[in-house]
Amino acid sequence: MADEIKILVVDDEPIVIRSCETVLKSEGYNIEGCLGGKEAILKMEQTAYDLVFTDLKMPEVDGITLIRWIKQKRPDTGIVIITGYPSQDTIKDALEIGIIDYVPKPFTPAVLLDVTKRAVEWIRERAPVEEKAKEEEFPPSMLNEIDRVISQYKNRPGSSIPVLQRCQQIVGYLPPQVQKRIAKGLNLTPAQIHSIVSFYSFFTMKPRGDHNIRICLGTACYVKRVEESLNKIKEYLKIDVGDVTEDKKFSLETVRCLGACGLAPVMVIDEETFGAVTPKKVTEIIGQYT
Amino acid sequence: MEKYRANLLMCAGTGCVASGTPKVRDALKAELEKRGLAEEIKIVLTGCNGFCAEGPVMLVYPEEIFYQNLTVEEIPKLVEEHFLKGRPYEKLMFKDIEKKHAIPLMNDIPFFKHQVLRVLRNKGLIDPESIEEYIARDGYMAAAKALNEMTPADIIKIIKDAGLRGRGGAGFPTGLKWEFASKSEADQKYMLCNGDEGDPGAFMDRSVMEADPHSVIEGMIIGAKAIGASKGVIYVRAEYPLAVERLQKAIEICTESGILGDNILGSDFSFDLEIYLGAGAFVCGEETALMRSIEGQRGMPRPRPPFPAHKGLWDKPSVLNNVETLAQIAPTILNGAEWYRTLGTEKSAGTKVFALTGDIRNVGLVEVPMGIPLRTIIYDIGGGINKKKKKFKSVQMGGPSGGCIPESLLDIPVTYEDIIKTGAIMGSGGMVVMDEDTCMVSTAKFFLEFTADESCGKCTPCRVGTRVMLDMLTDITEGRGREGDIETLEDLSRDIIATSLCGLGQTAPNPVLSTIRYFRHEYEAHIKEHWCHAGICSNLCSFHINEELCKGCGACLRGCPQQAVVGEKKKPHRIIQELCIQCRTCYDACKFGSIEIRPAVRKKTTEPAAKDEGVKQ
Repeated sequence: MADEIKILVVDDEPIVIRSCETVLKSEGYNIEGCLGGKEAILKMEQTAYDLVFTDLKMPEVDGITLIRWIKQKRPDTGIVIITGYPSQDTIKDALEIGIIDYVPKPFTPAVLLDVTKRAVEWIRERAPVEEKAKEEEFPPSMLNEIDRVISQYKNRPGSSIPVLQRCQQIVGYLPPQVQKRIAKGLNLTPAQIHSIVSFYSFFTMKPRGDHNIRICLGTACYVKRVEESLNKIKEYLKIDVGDVTEDKKFSLETVRCLGACGLAPVMVIDEETFGAVTPKKVTEIIGQYT
Repeated sequence: MEKYRANLLMCAGTGCVASGTPKVRDALKAELEKRGLAEEIKIVLTGCNGFCAEGPVMLVYPEEIFYQNLTVEEIPKLVEEHFLKGRPYEKLMFKDIEKKHAIPLMNDIPFFKHQVLRVLRNKGLIDPESIEEYIARDGYMAAAKALNEMTPADIIKIIKDAGLRGRGGAGFPTGLKWEFASKSEADQKYMLCNGDEGDPGAFMDRSVMEADPHSVIEGMIIGAKAIGASKGVIYVRAEYPLAVERLQKAIEICTESGILGDNILGSDFSFDLEIYLGAGAFVCGEETALMRSIEGQRGMPRPRPPFPAHKGLWDKPSVLNNVETLAQIAPTILNGAEWYRTLGTEKSAGTKVFALTGDIRNVGLVEVPMGIPLRTIIYDIGGGINKKKKKFKSVQMGGPSGGCIPESLLDIPVTYEDIIKTGAIMGSGGMVVMDEDTCMVSTAKFFLEFTADESCGKCTPCRVGTRVMLDMLTDITEGRGREGDIETLEDLSRDIIATSLCGLGQTAPNPVLSTIRYFRHEYEAHIKEHWCHAGICSNLCSFHINEELCKGCGACLRGCPQQAVVGEKKKPHRIIQELCIQCRTCYDACKFGSIEIRPAVRKKTTEPAAKDEGVKQ
């Protein structure tokens, strides 16, 4: 896994490059080094790296210039700073341009490994989201609708949850750019909005299928072995809970009790409730929707 | 109002609707028109009747004849027989199991006979969307009395004397809660309703909100007057769309009719009410978490004190009452504390609504006086286990915070005090019956999965502790259990209970503790013998055919997805253990009880069944 990650270490002190190599290669990372910003740019014009570890103070092309160049030309590359002077203004500049983390010099192997691991996680998490942000475009009418909801609730205290509920109704899910728009509109930070979205199970950041299947995992349904039906659906649609079928027709979710225990086990497709389902019945019912 | 010869009260609760009420209603309407009866007979869609097991159901007024399992096909015959010829149609009536005769009248049916309706006083009788029908059943009389003739202290005294305790689970005295908030000085107070019914297996509040939304609103108006609140919020789960719709309509009608808003019913009291939709977090049933959620934050509990009666929603004094509690306020104000105390016991007065579900014949909603034995609810009202040959194993009360009560304790009276002694809790009213085919270790695991998932993450013992316990239970159910696991589970439980901040964490280990207490042998069998007696944990069981009981009918052979069953017709069959995946299909298919569940066998031995031959279940 680690060897899929390509790292470029840029530092004018060869000892730093060598120690990075020793530590990170043993963990299976793919590592290259170079002694200055200029050389780094030449290398990066040829090859894409996942991560760049760079010193700030270097002759000719310094770290900040290199970071600016990377941001412009290789925006997908994650940047980690190696620095002997973590308090300097240059660090502030670097933070503003956007880096993942920094390693203070001198460093122990443990610190380097820890920072690397986090940086790798960070780029892995970020990759699909950013891709989606590029491909998802929402029609202006949808955005207008969102703005209308925001302005309607704007001055009411505690309105973030109702706004998110309404916006999820409009868009179908709550992707990052919608969350950002809401945050801006309500005068909150994106982190505040995201903390609510991630806390409540009602909110989803993934688009749902044309038909949303919800399986009740309440006690009554559990006692009546709803799991067998759930497994059958997974097998039938070839998806897991929380996923959407390839043709975007169905999505599958589980819920904690729909309060229709008299009909257990219960399945809901969109708004319609089906009671006393069995592995045989669920495929028949779903079959009617295709 | 026009007069009709008969009213047909069709249940339009969630259960019956899913079973087909809309189609049956259309067919019935068309048939009545065809027969020229539309002027004489009126169809009314009511809220949940409670007898969900036999839906769609319908009650014919004035005779009170009860029809169940209605189908579109039977409608013409029903109309012809009952409404043209005047002969009630037996085929669609409830049948007595033993005597096999039909029981025409609703109140003669055992399911209804033992019930006393206070909270559910209007269930299945009124159109929940009509305020006139609610008023016709004494609706808003208590509110008028409370607002015009009583002081807050008068109201609180009645509720305190009545001994009404919160029906959400913990059973805190409602009157006391109101008194605290009433005495708090503030420029703004809030009256809140908890409709975030999160316990899996409970649907009492849903039914009340759907069938009788005005009873909740009336309770809130009276409570608001008692504590001096001018604003109220009903917090409802988003998973209950019908309840939200009905409450919304009811609030609108009330506002139009001067029952909500300024100077209610001619008094100097004003109260505004709104609905707030929950977003699916179990922990929001906890009062401080619910208030954070209304404030638009993550629903995380907060240490108490300060209690919400002093610092609640937006840091103002607030009272949060459960739906069922609020629905009892109006009749108590009208009839007085003594009337309230005519039912129930000294410490657990009044009635309690239970959602009876699981492996039981009469699934549905029941309201009974507190103090009656658990056995009466399960056997007389519930009709016992739904499969003839299966035995009762346990009844789970209190959801993820509760516990499992075994057969030997079924004669205890249903009161807050007695239930808690068993290790379960009264809870909000979910009562899930389990038969002998239930594995208690898996059941405990099911609840822990729930709490581990719903833990808000604030306290480490709850967040991490439940996860650790869940991992141990998973190991036990998959055959990796070790000696000493049971004791470790008990230890961990005690720590989590002692060190969690809110009710969720403090009660999360209950399902584990209560199953260990009563079904320790099952845990031991899982760990030591690799044997799940119920045959639920597929790594810990094997299925065998008892050749003496096998009739060779072939039901198991046809059902087996693995072709693991072999045998000729009318001769005893056999299961090839190497092919068996322990899916239980054969076990469920066999009508003669010839499939036996034995400990797990080691696969790929030559004669796998032979060495377990001596072990009898």
